[in-house]
Amino acid sequence: MSFKRLDPQDFVISADSITNTLWSGDAVTLDSFFTSSTQEAGSSGDYYLSIYQTASSDSTAKVQFDIAYGNKLGSGSIAYNSGIVGKSPTSTIYGQYRTMVLGDENTDFAIGDYTETEFIAVPIERARYKEGLFPGSLNLTLTVGSDTIHITDNSKDVASITFVDAGRKFELVSGSNGAAYSGTGYTAASGSYGWMLPDIGILLLNSKALEGSAADGGIGLNITRANTTNGATNTSTFDAIVDGSSFKMNSQETITSDFIFVRARNAEFNYSENPSYISGSTGEVIYDEFINSPQSYITTVGMYNDNNDLLAVAKLSKPLLKDFTKETLVRVKLDF
Amino acid sequence: MGYLNNSVVTVDAILTKKGRELLAKGDGSFRITQFALADDEIDYTLYNPTHPSGSAYYGEALENMPLLEAFPNETQIMKYKLVTLPRGTSKMPVLDLGYGSITLKQGASLSITPQTLNYLGGNQTFETSGYTATISDVRLFNTFNGVGVNTEQAQAANSTTTIGTNVSKTVVGTTINLTATTVNTLFGNNTQLQATLTVIGRDSGARLTIPVTITKVQ
Repeated sequence: MSFKRLDPQDFVISADSITNTLWSGDAVTLDSFFTSSTQEAGSSGDYYLSIYQTASSDSTAKVQFDIAYGNKLGSGSIAYNSGIVGKSPTSTIYGQYRTMVLGDENTDFAIGDYTETEFIAVPIERARYKEGLFPGSLNLTLTVGSDTIHITDNSKDVASITFVDAGRKFELVSGSNGAAYSGTGYTAASGSYGWMLPDIGILLLNSKALEGSAADGGIGLNITRANTTNGATNTSTFDAIVDGSSFKMNSQETITSDFIFVRARNAEFNYSENPSYISGSTGEVIYDEFINSPQSYITTVGMYNDNNDLLAVAKLSKPLLKDFTKETLVRVKLDF
Repeated sequence: MGYLNNSVVTVDAILTKKGRELLAKGDGSFRITQFALADDEIDYTLYNPTHPSGSAYYGEALENMPLLEAFPNETQIMKYKLVTLPRGTSKMPVLDLGYGSITLKQGASLSITPQTLNYLGGNQTFETSGYTATISDVRLFNTFNGVGVNTEQAQAANSTTTIGTNVSKTVVGTTINLTATTVNTLFGNNTQLQATLTVIGRDSGARLTIPVTITKVQ
């Protein structure tokens, strides 16, 4: 009398793609960038530089993304052991991304028309991008001195999507909102400005293309290849992002929802076991009007298993009147 | 000609503590198969069948009341279920446990056989599907089980072992057997332990909560 079985057609499973702003506080564009001197000076600072949306000492500070320079030959950082050439934090970063992105230790990154043995990785913090980056939403401005470049992915220019071992891959080009300003969006001399790997939330910037002069399509980014210091290229990239002061991108995730259609027919659920519905201890209905024209007010929908365990519950925003002249259809949404 | 109201009420559901537990178990017990409706928070004494403006206003005090968000504690929500009864019903099913409260000494036993008054027009006093009984603090009893309902689901509920601290336990049956705890340390410096026993008719939805007291044997 109080439970009603659901039919198979009362269940609908829906998977919806949800996009959202990437950065903390739902900021559309990140225009202020901060680092942590503690992180930079720590052992992790040899490998990457963490970027925050506010001063890292602030209670609301959260890592937004990191910057990590990778070099196949180990250039740009101090060797782990002075007697072993080519093994340093930058070579570790290079190998890490090569395995993750290419899945082949014998292959190098073919960025645009060139095979590169170095890059600047910009992995977005997982909590920011949720499931993936939303192609077509990237707008990153890099500035060095008087040279500025606006970088986006070329997802709206390509007819078919290219895949690598890390999923979808788009070239980074000069343009905005997923389309190049003109042509391919990069010069043949430098190759594209890198890759966007939306499924793992990573941008790989082509350090050589950015290092080039403005005439060659670059901005003169300072790439340090000496083995005398750690993290110099990470810092110069950070400076270029700070001076560009505009990093815009959206996240994308798939929300799977269970929709359950709860149907109360006109003759159902018109009486209540609410103690205020009853007068006295013997169960008399409180008002004589309720004997032939009972009215009840639905406030809560409970979803049960066969064992009558209450698994999920939903509240209405306001009471819903139910009587013998009304039928009710409530769509209950259960997100996973 | 006017437009028909084709709106569908859409609500977001949350998992209860029990739902999360069964989802984590992953044994198939998290499977929604039925629903119930409730009118928690509604006070029908606010309904006014003598409203001077007429019947359209009888429920005015109820219809726009703001409702609280759902509680994830399954024992604190869906308390008062809406039930399907024939038109003309003048008396609602009510439970009779034979006790207004229960007081047991340590180690003492008691069997409760609930009855449902006004059930199915008064022609039947025991509900076919039995009763669920929930003790708010399982530590108060050495024995807390239900007998008389032999469905697979009821037996599964009755065989569930609840361990740990102050948690509730629910059993199913037509008779509920209780044996008070013999553990002295539960009392600390007190001479009594207290909890509540909630019994719900599985068919009628009728519900009754009574206090339970266990007294320490000096």
